Formats: sequence, structure tokens, C-alpha cells
Amino acid sequence: MQGTNSLMKTLGLLQGPQTLGKGKPFWSAFTLVVALACAYPLFADGYDVGNNVYFFNWAFMALGLSLIWGYGGTLSFGQTAFFGVAGYTYGVISINFGDAYGLTIFALVASVAAAALLAAALGYFLFFGRISGVFLGIVTLSVTLVLERFMAQTAGPEWRVGAARLNGYNGMGGMPSLTIPWFGSDIVLFPDVQLYYFTLALLIACYLGLRILVNSRFGNVLVAIRENPQRAEMLGYDIRVYQLVTFIIGSALAGLSGVLYTSWGNYITPASMGMTAAALPIVWVAVGGRSDLTTTLIGAMLVLAGFQALTIHGSQYALVVMGALLVLTVLIAPRGLVFGLGTLVAGLVNRKPKRQGE
Amino acid sequence: MKKTLNGAMTALGLILLCSAANAQDPIKLGVLEDQSGDFAAATIGKVHGIQLATEEINAAGGIAGRPLELVIYDTQSDNTRYQEFMRRVLQRDKVDAVFAGFSSASREAYRPIVNQFDGLAFYNNQYEGGVCDANMIVTGAVPEQQFSTLLPYMMETYGKKVYTIAADYNFGQISAEWVRNLVKDGGGEMVGEEFIPLGVSQFSQTIQNIQAAKPDFVVTLLVGTAQASYYEQAAAANVNLPMASSVNVGQGYEHKRFKPPSLANMYATVNWVEEVDNPQSKAFVERWHKKFPDEPYINQEAENSYLAVYLYKQMVERANGSTDKEELRKVIAQGDVCYDAPEGKVCLDPKSQHMSHSIYLAKVNEDHSISFPKVWNDIKPYWLGEVGCDLTKKDPSEQYTPSNLPKAAD
Amino acid sequence: MTVLFSIFSFLYQTGDAFAFLVLSACGLAIIFGMMGVINLAHGEFIMCGAYVCAAAARAGLPLPIAILAGALAAGFAGMVIERIIIRPLYDRPLDTIVATWGVSMVVTQGTLILLGSTMPGTGTPFGSFTVGPYSYSVYRVVLMVAALGTLGLLWVGFTKTRFGVLARATIQVPHIAQALGVNTGLVYSLTFGLGAALAGLAGGLYAPTMTLVPTMGSAFVVEAFVTVVVGGADIFLGTAPAALVLGAVKASLTSWQGQLAGQIGLLVAVIIVIRILPRGISGWILRERT
Repeated sequence: MQGTNSLMKTLGLLQGPQTLGKGKPFWSAFTLVVALACAYPLFADGYDVGNNVYFFNWAFMALGLSLIWGYGGTLSFGQTAFFGVAGYTYGVISINFGDAYGLTIFALVASVAAAALLAAALGYFLFFGRISGVFLGIVTLSVTLVLERFMAQTAGPEWRVGAARLNGYNGMGGMPSLTIPWFGSDIVLFPDVQLYYFTLALLIACYLGLRILVNSRFGNVLVAIRENPQRAEMLGYDIRVYQLVTFIIGSALAGLSGVLYTSWGNYITPASMGMTAAALPIVWVAVGGRSDLTTTLIGAMLVLAGFQALTIHGSQYALVVMGALLVLTVLIAPRGLVFGLGTLVAGLVNRKPKRQGE
Repeated sequence: MKKTLNGAMTALGLILLCSAANAQDPIKLGVLEDQSGDFAAATIGKVHGIQLATEEINAAGGIAGRPLELVIYDTQSDNTRYQEFMRRVLQRDKVDAVFAGFSSASREAYRPIVNQFDGLAFYNNQYEGGVCDANMIVTGAVPEQQFSTLLPYMMETYGKKVYTIAADYNFGQISAEWVRNLVKDGGGEMVGEEFIPLGVSQFSQTIQNIQAAKPDFVVTLLVGTAQASYYEQAAAANVNLPMASSVNVGQGYEHKRFKPPSLANMYATVNWVEEVDNPQSKAFVERWHKKFPDEPYINQEAENSYLAVYLYKQMVERANGSTDKEELRKVIAQGDVCYDAPEGKVCLDPKSQHMSHSIYLAKVNEDHSISFPKVWNDIKPYWLGEVGCDLTKKDPSEQYTPSNLPKAAD
Repeated sequence: MTVLFSIFSFLYQTGDAFAFLVLSACGLAIIFGMMGVINLAHGEFIMCGAYVCAAAARAGLPLPIAILAGALAAGFAGMVIERIIIRPLYDRPLDTIVATWGVSMVVTQGTLILLGSTMPGTGTPFGSFTVGPYSYSVYRVVLMVAALGTLGLLWVGFTKTRFGVLARATIQVPHIAQALGVNTGLVYSLTFGLGAALAGLAGGLYAPTMTLVPTMGSAFVVEAFVTVVVGGADIFLGTAPAALVLGAVKASLTSWQGQLAGQIGLLVAVIIVIRILPRGISGWILRERT
């Protein structure tokens, strides 16, 4: 009885003050989207399915950054450090132990844990050192750049962990894809329908889990800290602990992205921790609307798909158009494109503009 | 949508143009090259080379009667774009072969995908060597071709004390290893070796280290536009030592970009550059400038890309019009897939699927003109075969290095 | 004697690294320290200065004038960008990251499309001099002098001129400055323009020594950010000493262990400094003083 009660309570947190969307309309739309996403492979060809998995891979990092930046108010410029560390850890473990008996799933968990551990160490250093604002961004950026420079020069044969060569700037390859042990024969998660469903399920789980987290007491405190750290501290909250835990969770999600990406392409490279890579998550989150999980998710997908389409069809002008889009988004839709569009649509439907949007 | 439209257009075109029989589907080539970003300067010419060859081939009736169609994507010097687009050309566009990649990192990024879909990819680029993969054909030059010619010449001409500065990643480290071994074999001495992280552009300290070591010549294996600043800074500090390189001049045309005499006394082994003086090469440059009048420089990778299209044409035609990878590899296995390229005759080696080259020793003069003190014909890519890579028997899909050789047991 | 040569060599190397850090960072320091804007297009202003300088020098202008032309062009571009893009974002500093990142993409790729993938260099002037076993480039000594000169001029500009006083007033308490009749919009615009012009100056000064490509700015950006963060918000109390410390760290590590150690050492030094002095060197000095 107690159990069901607390379960219901937890599920109740799926909607609340910190997330957009509540009530029947939202959840019916949500169900519809999930149903469409599940049915998608029936209509699409292998390329589209695999390509969507690729987009999903990055969504975890975007959600994690939304938690850290949008909800926690601290901009981490170095989420790619955790992405890379988890990717390399996955490579090292899975190359050494192979893909039998579900060991790749173990590698996945261990790699995410490694990313979380690094985040805990770095975060302790940062938050308990009272580093905040832009400085925090620069330190995290430095960390990811140090890792990139370090990994880039590990081409020599002395840089190996067991059977796995780090292989420097050219990147580490040859790791097995994620494999689920199954009766009869294992399911190898190539970038195809199986991996699509696996990643989709993970994504939905993370999304819903994060919704519960930010609507819980923890999330409310977190937002209070974002709004006014001093006030939160006066109220007796140890803001350092809250920020640290947020940082760890967000970074673990970045690590999850790294593992999925590495398994998707059987490849991980130091460039994935470089300056350009580090700026991308910020762009996804900012364009979508960082202060909400749903807008972040939609925004990240839109930006990823949009940029790819631009590169395919826009030839050399693609980067120009992308840059211009970013500038325009920031200027015209300050709370993010999805937010902006949403308010616009809501305004048209309700015939009277709401205050909260811009 | 676009696909059906394209299909309709092609069908319409074919009906209009050749209402006779023999109207066949085009052969599709995917082209993934960095037309923007860090590597753009050296790679835009590769795309042009492929376009020029395609135009010539189509004007002469196509490959085995089928026209050649290019599917070109800009990979923006970004490894993840290679992964996205390699999947796209193989799965969506269903191309018959892919011409892809400038940096070795980009090649390693897309190689697992080519292996997974069992496609055929041409890597038309000079690189650190060692890729033993049946899905790959490499037309660029490799270290044994460039260093086994360059270093004996330099040590004979200038002396035996050698200092190497190399980009601190796979290409630089492996090339430096080649230099070290060849210097030792030639009875020389390494007086210094320094690795420079990619993107470093300030070289004062390095210049001093070189001066302190007093070498007879410097081997510069610098990569990327930032590192190329070394030459200007070394010239300004009056280092005044002969230089030897496998990567400069032929790829980044530094002698055109810098004001003389900062590159004077640089010796580079290239498999072709636009200054090469023979009738075939002259005609090639002329055809090129007719189509692309604004090309700043035609580098060796542009020529490699150009001739790769013709190699592919020959292979398909000899396989009776089949574009199947295994059929083409049977043709390669005959060991006489050769082509009279602007650089001279080149042949594909069946064991490694790498290519033999004419190697030109390009010397940069005081006024940055190029002279060729020496030419070696038909230098084979022998190393992979020697250490045990034989693609006609076994496909390990690995990249080997002098310190990471195939296991003897295999 | 050899000891003296080595000492000179170390001083030269430190000075060289110092000049590079100061020149690449001071534009960024002004824009960040005074306006709180994180300018990811900093490298593109540097590139702009370098391109204009090289073009002017090739057109026959003497090098010093060409360098100034580069600085002015970058400064003008900076003022235009401030007016159109940065101004609406002053109360949203983190959004400036995204906006300036967008500007940087447009400018880099636009330059590639319009001007091609590379631009021919101008060659380094002034030749070289010899001390003991080493020869040095004279121009790099010029760069060190230019770095010190720039710092000196900025100090005079911000403490002795009317613009400097108004700028500092506007930055500290904008609404009061405005109430007192200061045209704060113009002050912001000029300050941003000054930061961009300093970036352009760095580009112009380094143009003769570097490869000119659309992405050349990225060679400066990381070092510039590192210097600004270690230094903190104040350019004189922060950026200059930070550049000196980091320059010495980089020079000694590079001569001891090679370039990789120099690069990584620089970034590790940043993390350590921030841990000890969260507000940078200038924050620490200012706190000690009060």
C-alpha cells in the first residue's frame, strides 16, 4: 500500500511547476509522439532510422546541459569532456572484454559511471571552490581542451590499455557495438531498427526521469538557487551540494551520449572534445530554449536535423546560414525557438497574447 | 522526394537525349571532401579533380556506356559529418563507390561504416600508411615512397645530423618513426625530435631548440595552416637550414602562400605538383584551368583524385561493367591495373590496394620557383606487403604502423 | 657566457609569449571585463585585422600604417556588430556566447567564400640579430614593444581621458551615468569597438608572421580566454600580470618538455589559478587592497 502510494506520488511529479505541458492535452500529444516514433521504422528506410538514432545520441547531452544550465543556472562549457571520457572508457572496456554475455551493457554502465566520477571530482573542485558564472564555463572548457590535446598525442604504441590502443588524433576504433544478450543469439545493436528502439526507450526514460527530478523538491530548490543563490543559502540549503549533484547527473547524461555515439559509429576521436564540439551542445540547448526539458529536446532535434539538411543542400553556404540562424534566434526568440514558436501559436489560438512568453 | 525528382529528371533526360536503346542507369560516385573548415585550402582542388575527370569521361561516353554521376557532400573538416554522410551515400544514395577523406582521422571515422555496409572507398590522399582493408583503395603516396627517396638524398647532399619537427598526432609520429629508422640505416644521427600539437602557431622556442642542436638539415612534418607559420618565423629568425618534408609543398602549396624566400631550400618528395614539366602534365594543367580558371594551385591530392576516377573507370570496364566490389577486386588481383597519369605510369598493388608512384624531388628556390633535382620512377608501396598484409588472401581491416605490425600467427 | 645566453634566451621567449598573450587577450579583456560580454567572435576580429593589414601592405602601404588600417577596420566592424547584435543582449550575458558564436561562423565561412581559402602573406620585415649561438627575429622584439606600448596607451586612455572616465562610470553604474547625461549607448559602442580594434591590432601585428586563412583566429582564442580568466576583469591589474605569469610558465615548459607540455601546462595553470583565486589575479589584488 505504502509502495503504490509513493509510486503514485512520484508519477504525479511528471508534471509540475518546473516543466511545460500538463493535463490531458499534453499527455495525449506525448503519447501520440511516442506512438509515431515507435511506428517510424515501419515507414522509413534504414538510412533514416540510423540517422535518427544518431540525433537521439546527442539528445542526452542536451538534456543534461538543460538540467545544469537551464535549471541549475551554471553554464558548463565542457560537457564534451564527459562525452569523450565515457566514449573512450566504453572503447577500452568493450575492446578488452568483448561483447559476449551482455558485457557491452556493463561497459555502458561503467563508462557512464566513469563520466559521473570525473564530474564529481571536477564539480567538487568547482562548486566547493565557489567558482561560478563565466569562470565555471572557462574552467570546464579548459578541462575538455586539455583532454583533447592529451588524447590527440596518444598515437604511439605505448598508449594502450590492455588490447585497446588509444590511437591519438586518428581516433579509437574497432570497439564492438552494444549487444543485448538474448536467447538463441545476441542482438547486436547496429545503427538500425534494434538500436533505434533501444535508444528511443532510453531517451523516453531519461526524459520522464528528469521531469520527475525537476518537479521534485530537489528540482524546486535547484530553481530557487538559479533565481537567487543567496536567498536559497539563507533559507538553509547547502547550494553547493545541490549544484554538485545536478552537475553529476547532467554530466552522466553527457557520458551516456558519448557511449551511444561511440557504439553507433564504432569510433571515438579527440576532436569530439574540441572547441567546436564543446560549443555545439550550448547551441542546441540555447536555440531550443534551455529553461525547459521539452523545448530543449525538441530544439536539439530541430537544430541537428536542420544543420544536417543545410549541409546537404546548402553546400558552402550552410555554415553561413547556420550562423545567421543562431544570431537571429537569440535576438528574436530570446527564450528559445521552440518557446517563441509555442507562444506565437498559443497567442494565435487564444487570441490574446500571454504575459510569460516574449 | 528529391530522389524521385532526380530520377524523373534523369529518365526524362535520357529519353530526350538518347532515345535509342542502351539507356542505362548512371554509375554513382559519392564524394565526401572538406570544402569548408580547416582543411578547405588543400581539399577543394580534390573535388575539382573528380569533377574534371567525370566531365571528361562523360564526354567520351561514360564508363562502359553508363554516364558517371557525382553525389557531393561538404564534410566541413568535421569527423562526425563523415560518419553521417558516409552512411548517407551508402544507404540512401546507394553509390557504387565513394571518394572520401583528407585527414587520417576522417578516414578512420568513416572506415567502420564502409566495412559495415561492405562498400568501396577511395582515399586519394598522401598519409602515414598502413591501412590494410579490402574496402579501401588508396591512391595517395605513403612514407616508404616519400622517405626512402628523400632521406638518402638529403643525407648525401647536406650531412648526417637530422632534426625532426612533426605534428603531434598519428601522421607526424609515424612519419617521424620512418625518418628515425631511415636515418639510422643510413648511418646518420638524430640530433633532435620535437612534436608540435595541432593548432600551435608560435614557434620561437622550437626555433631556438633547433639552433642549439645544430643539425645539417631539418625534417619538417608540419600539418595544418597554423603550423605552417613555422616557415615564416624560422626565416625571420634566420635559421637558414635546408629543410626536407613529405607533406609540405605538394599538399598545402606553402611556396605559393608565403613571401619568398621563407621556404627557400625546402626539399619535398611529391608524386606530382603543377610545376611538373612533361607534356602530359602540361596538358592536364591546361585542361584544369579551362574548367577552373580561379584555382589557386593544383596539388598532388587533386591529381590523385583525378586519376582515381580513371582507375575506377578502367576497373569497371575490365569487370564487364560490374561495379560489384568483389568483381573489381578480382581485376585488381590481376596486378596490372595501371594508368598513364600526369605524373607518369601508376599501378595498383593487389596486396595492399595502394598505388605505385613517380616520386619527384621538388626543390623550392630562392624566388619560390620549383626545380626538380631528381625523379624516381615507379616507386612501389612495398611496406604493407613486406610486413604481411595480403588482401588477396585475408582482410584484417586494420591500420598497421612500424610499431604495430600484423601478428605473425595470423 | 653560456649562462648569459641562456638567460637572454629565456627572457626573449618569455617576452615573446607575453606579447602574444597580451596582444591577443587585451581586446577580449576589455569586452569581457568592462561589458561582461563573452565574445566568441574575438578570433574573427583578429582575422579581420590580419586580412586588412596584409591587403593594405600588398597594395603598397607601409607596414605600420597597414597594421593601423587593420585595427581600424576591425574596430569599425566591432561597432557595427555591437549596434546590431550585442546591444539587445546586455542583460543576457550567456546569450552573447551563442550570438557571437553565430557571428564567428558567418564571418569565417563568408571569408572563405568571398576571398578564397588562403591569402598570400607579406613576409616578416627587419631581419634578424644574433646573441651567442642563437639568432632571433627583430620583428618579434617589435611585437614585445608593441604589447607594452598598447598596455601603456590603454592605461593613459582609461585613466587620463574623458572617454576613459565616462566609460568606467558607465560600466560601473550605467543608470546613474545615464542620469548624469552620459550617452551610454555611445560609450558601449565605443568600448566594444575599442576591444575589436585591439583584436584587429593583434591580427595586423601578427599577420606578417603567420599563415593567413579564414580560421586563423582560432589560434589566438584559447590563449586569449585563458589569459583573461586568469587575469580577471581588470586589464591592467589582471591581464598584464596574467600574461607575464602564463608566458613564463609556457616558455619554461616548452623549452623543458616541448610544445605539448607548454600547451597543457598553460591550461592546467588556469585551473589551478582559478581554484586559488576565483576572481582572477585582479580580483585578488583588489581584495588585498581594500
